[in-house]
Amino acid sequence: MKVVKLRLANRTLLDPAAAQWKKVAAEQVVLGATPLHKQPSGHVRAAWAGKAIGSVRSVKVQAAHNGDNIAIRLEWLDDSKDLDHGDGTVFPDAAGVLFPLKGEAELESMGSPEAPVNAWFWRANLPEGEAQELIAKGVGTLEPAPKRQTEARSRWYRGRWQVVFSRPLSVRGDAVRFSARKAAKVAFAVWEGSSQERGGLKSFSKVWQELSIQ
Amino acid sequence: MAKTKQKKDTAPRQVAMVFDLNKCIGCQTCSVACKTLWTNEDSTDYQWWCTVNTQPGRGHPRDYEAMGGGYRDGVPQPGRLPARREWGGGWDFNYDEVLYGGKGNSTFLQHVGDEPEWGPNWDEDQGAGEYPNAYYFYLPRLCNHCTKPACVDACPRDAMYKRSEDGIVLRDETRCRGYQFCAEACPYKKVYFNFLRNVSQQCIMCFPRVEQNVAPACARQCPGRAVWFGMLDDAEGPVSQLVNKWKVALPLHPEYGTDANIFYIPPVGPARLHEDHSFDEETPRIPREYLESLFGPKVNAALDTLTTEMAKTKNGRKSKLMDTLIAYWWKDMFKPYDRDPAEIKWK
Ligand code: SF4
Ligand code: SF4
Repeated sequence: MKVVKLRLANRTLLDPAAAQWKKVAAEQVVLGATPLHKQPSGHVRAAWAGKAIGSVRSVKVQAAHNGDNIAIRLEWLDDSKDLDHGDGTVFPDAAGVLFPLKGEAELESMGSPEAPVNAWFWRANLPEGEAQELIAKGVGTLEPAPKRQTEARSRWYRGRWQVVFSRPLSVRGDAVRFSARKAAKVAFAVWEGSSQERGGLKSFSKVWQELSIQ
Repeated sequence: MAKTKQKKDTAPRQVAMVFDLNKCIGCQTCSVACKTLWTNEDSTDYQWWCTVNTQPGRGHPRDYEAMGGGYRDGVPQPGRLPARREWGGGWDFNYDEVLYGGKGNSTFLQHVGDEPEWGPNWDEDQGAGEYPNAYYFYLPRLCNHCTKPACVDACPRDAMYKRSEDGIVLRDETRCRGYQFCAEACPYKKVYFNFLRNVSQQCIMCFPRVEQNVAPACARQCPGRAVWFGMLDDAEGPVSQLVNKWKVALPLHPEYGTDANIFYIPPVGPARLHEDHSFDEETPRIPREYLESLFGPKVNAALDTLTTEMAKTKNGRKSKLMDTLIAYWWKDMFKPYDRDPAEIKWK
């Protein structure tokens, strides 16, 4: 997966509706469900036995940078736009991008104490522009990263969510580093709120993809 | 798979409460005491950590007993989230218009917004049975601070825990990410959601009061002297006496398997009347099967003890159990948690 260089203002890069995104090559990434037996509590396993996890089957991914910022644009089919908790039995739609902080972190378990992962997380009920930046060291260990440097903008258009995450290319602290010399590893996840997906109940790309800066 | 934390789901000591359903008058002072103390901020209007419902009735949220959760033979049971309409409550009225808008003479005070279909005390005093043998009683409910808390076990983030000093079940709101697996797993449906802050919330057993030896607000404010509070292992205290010694205080729905720590003295109820309106002492007015469906088979022994001890006092003899239940000295109901909260400088 290539991160192409575009001569765009940071604001435009972050705009999911910007016309320039049309020219950026897209990759359709297949997503799969998190396995039920790996859910960390007996009650979650009991409540989801016989129910399908992972409603969203694939996500279209594009990536670009403008020298200062890197942006990743996700787009997926969703005919139910869940902006909030609705009648109390649904959840806001959400999406995430995951990076290993060093080496080969385990993807399905969201890293480990020795090999943590860094997540950019968007949820439809976060204030517009806001993304959460998180660090995980295993299932159920997500913590806010010490410094938040990522933004997200979203729109739901004709039955599709379009979400752009953006962050400065060079940052300090506990965060994934990008370099033109070495491809970064990346993974994607989508939560379908109308199916009560949240937490470990999601669709995700089962293997790390490569992200190379052009 | 990496497991970095240990669940804190057991505690060596446990606080508990006993509600006497023969004394509860359904006044809702407990519910309101809790509401004004803990759930008066935005997005908590539908949250009633303490509710008092008429039984038989559908409860709050509506038909919560059919929503699953808890354990059967130690096996976690699937649960579901209640919908907003099943909670109901939090009605709005046109106060501004009538009280402050100068329309006091032309408009009635009335409900505005969506027409609610349920609320925290919707089927009040409906009960069951036919005249002259109709029956009902009140059932105050709050989080049971269970010995086997399904909510704690369900949380994948270990945001919930049982405090070791007193077994109070609490949630670290900085760890909670609003997944509501706790709410799904709780068979008593006593977990609420703060839609504004995106965290789950529930009764905290007034832990800041308990730490200062002040009983929880629902217990202390009860005008009916219907609520006892104390440590379950304080053998001389009334809670332990009623639960462990006399065995007249029982948890609600013991079959849910969470070992609840809110206990109830089951209602004895008045005698039935024959058609000629003479007393029928043989058949209980509140059907035993109904009470068994709430409190399990042990309710029969509890009711037998209660009627035996009541007969003693009727005949002019002494009953230690009746003395405890009458609660001659109000403060004895909470000792040593009997400090007056007004004396304390709260931070
Ligand atoms: S009543 Fe429900 S919320 Fe309270 S401790 Fe028990 S399982 Fe948890
Ligand atoms: S305050 Fe006491 S009498 Fe009133 S409803 Fe609550 S438990 Fe019953």
